[in-house]
Amino acid sequence: MSLEIVLVYQSLLGIYGDQGNAKVLLKRAQWRGIDATLTQVEPGDALPDSGDIFLLGGGEDGAQTSAVRLLKADGGLHRAVDRDAVVFAVCAGYQILGHSFGVGDADDLREGLGLLDVTTTRGPERAVGEILTHWNGHEGEQAWLTGFENHGGYTALGPQATPLATVEVGIGNGDGTEGAVQGKVLGTYPHGPVLARNPALADHLLEQALGHGLDPLERWEHDELRRQRLAAVRG
Amino acid sequence: MAESMTPELARRAAPARITRGQRLHLNAAVAAGNLAAFASRISGRGSGASIKGQLMTKLDKDALAKLLQGRRIAAVSGTNGKTTTTHLLAAAVRAGLGADTQRLVTNADGANLHYGIASALSTAPYADLAVLETDERVVADVIRLGKPEVLVLLNFSRDQLDRHHEIKSLARSWRTALEAAGADGPVVIANSQEPMIVWAAQTAKRVVWVETRSVWAQDSALCPACGSELRGHDAPGEQTAQRWHCTGCDLAEPEPAWSVSGDTIIDPEGTVWEPKLQVPGAFNVSNAALAMAAAAELGVPAGTAIRGMRKVTAPAGRFATTTIGDTTVRLLLAKNPAGWAEALPIINTDTVVLAIDSVAADGRDVSWLWDVDFEQLAGKNVIAAGPRALDLAVRLSYAEVDFTVKQDLAEALAGHPNPVDVLATYTPFQKLRKMGGLA
Ligand SMILES: [Zn+2]
Repeated sequence: MSLEIVLVYQSLLGIYGDQGNAKVLLKRAQWRGIDATLTQVEPGDALPDSGDIFLLGGGEDGAQTSAVRLLKADGGLHRAVDRDAVVFAVCAGYQILGHSFGVGDADDLREGLGLLDVTTTRGPERAVGEILTHWNGHEGEQAWLTGFENHGGYTALGPQATPLATVEVGIGNGDGTEGAVQGKVLGTYPHGPVLARNPALADHLLEQALGHGLDPLERWEHDELRRQRLAAVRG
Repeated sequence: MAESMTPELARRAAPARITRGQRLHLNAAVAAGNLAAFASRISGRGSGASIKGQLMTKLDKDALAKLLQGRRIAAVSGTNGKTTTTHLLAAAVRAGLGADTQRLVTNADGANLHYGIASALSTAPYADLAVLETDERVVADVIRLGKPEVLVLLNFSRDQLDRHHEIKSLARSWRTALEAAGADGPVVIANSQEPMIVWAAQTAKRVVWVETRSVWAQDSALCPACGSELRGHDAPGEQTAQRWHCTGCDLAEPEPAWSVSGDTIIDPEGTVWEPKLQVPGAFNVSNAALAMAAAAELGVPAGTAIRGMRKVTAPAGRFATTTIGDTTVRLLLAKNPAGWAEALPIINTDTVVLAIDSVAADGRDVSWLWDVDFEQLAGKNVIAAGPRALDLAVRLSYAEVDFTVKQDLAEALAGHPNPVDVLATYTPFQKLRKMGGLA
């Protein structure tokens, strides 16, 4: 089958190199001979109903509010979730998938997209730095998820969402858990190209979208980077 | 007065209004600072500019304010190109001064925070013209304390977001300071293509707009005034005649007085100038246009300004060609995605070394690597160097660019019979300057 990856509003939600996640998914599919394409959607364009994986990145408060308004008006992301497409959102993108999130110094509440059973409010301290988590339900070296987080909001999960991972080093959701999973919708705080640092998570998203398993890809530099980052964060 | 000098440039600054007591206090602080800087130099801990500034300010908390007084000041700020533009503007003014160059002081070493500026000014108490590279965080203070005649605002983009969480807050500080300065404030020379710059400069008493050819538009999706979406932006790398405007308020790209077209600069009278600079790249033609517009405000005619700017070769080591080991290298600096977007097209060697670090001065988060179009290096032999070489290696792997990893800089630079371009973030760049005998 062909696989369509959709990068949503890079100009609003892409402040930390989050478009890297799209590049990683595209190449990891293509390197295995899968016919994969990347569609970039900007404000003013409609989200394609043919998309298989939708990606949302990080952004500032104003951009979050705009993105929610535009995505509600478009409706394409909600339709994607209804037809069981994969949604992967990082940082501010994760926050807007929830019921509500706070913005500004006063932590003014904004309504989110309601695609994840989570709510976000300002935490006691800004989370900035390397983060290391353990991916729930996964084993082995690849179950360690490494990244960089930079966010002021902390996220509480409702009963329909389960944490993606458990925090070893860093803040994550703020309560020892990190990220949220609900069906094929995933949110996580490590921003930027988190999938470049965690190829197993990238392949998991591809497998979810394709509906079948994938052969491993051997790339020495990807393994070396993981070794270096894990060693750095563990001190 | 030199024969060719315009009356505007010949005009002296009003003398500083500080008492004899205040002057003595300052002089004592400067003397102590000089001693500390000397100690720093002989012990090999660097030029001592910052240490000197620090000690002077400790001994006289008003040192910077006093040192700024009695001068006609042109301040240069923005995310990228500050050092080079400061050198271009200083060279233009120097050309205008002819034999009278001792009237000019500038912080040529790139030390652009309070201490660095104070230190540079203290070396030239009688220079009444100051061209000052000014960090974005210091602009508001320089406007308040120094009442600059001219302020150049180059560009504005994301930079080290692990420290500056909201890029708009800096622009807001400029806007507020310009508003507070009112009629005493500077004439602003500003880039009309960048919405954040236009918004920040709106409160200035007068703005001279310069249309540059920015290739970076990724930090201006939303209107800084009202938060609505902006339209009419060129996609990164593409250029059309279209000007940007806000969909929610009347903020829009202003009509420029000066503009850049290809390798030429067009002045307000429509005269086309070919700068033919020694510093490379389209970005530096834009920097030169802003410097020329600033020089014109100070009374330096365009032809004189260009003659001066052509003498600029390697501002604080940027674009310098030197030898490290047995290898001829050209040193390029890029500190953020916009900087890399400007610098990558300048690379013209088959083998290129890219050196990445992530200490505080570089930004601790290297996610920005994914906002840089490394795909354009396909076909070149890329050596990933520096402490974060592996992050770059993975980025290059997904870009399908051939690479090798040599974290150690000396190793990365060894064994190249042909010249090599080296593009580095801040910390490796400073190491390379030292290795090349330039600092
Ligand atoms: Zn507006």
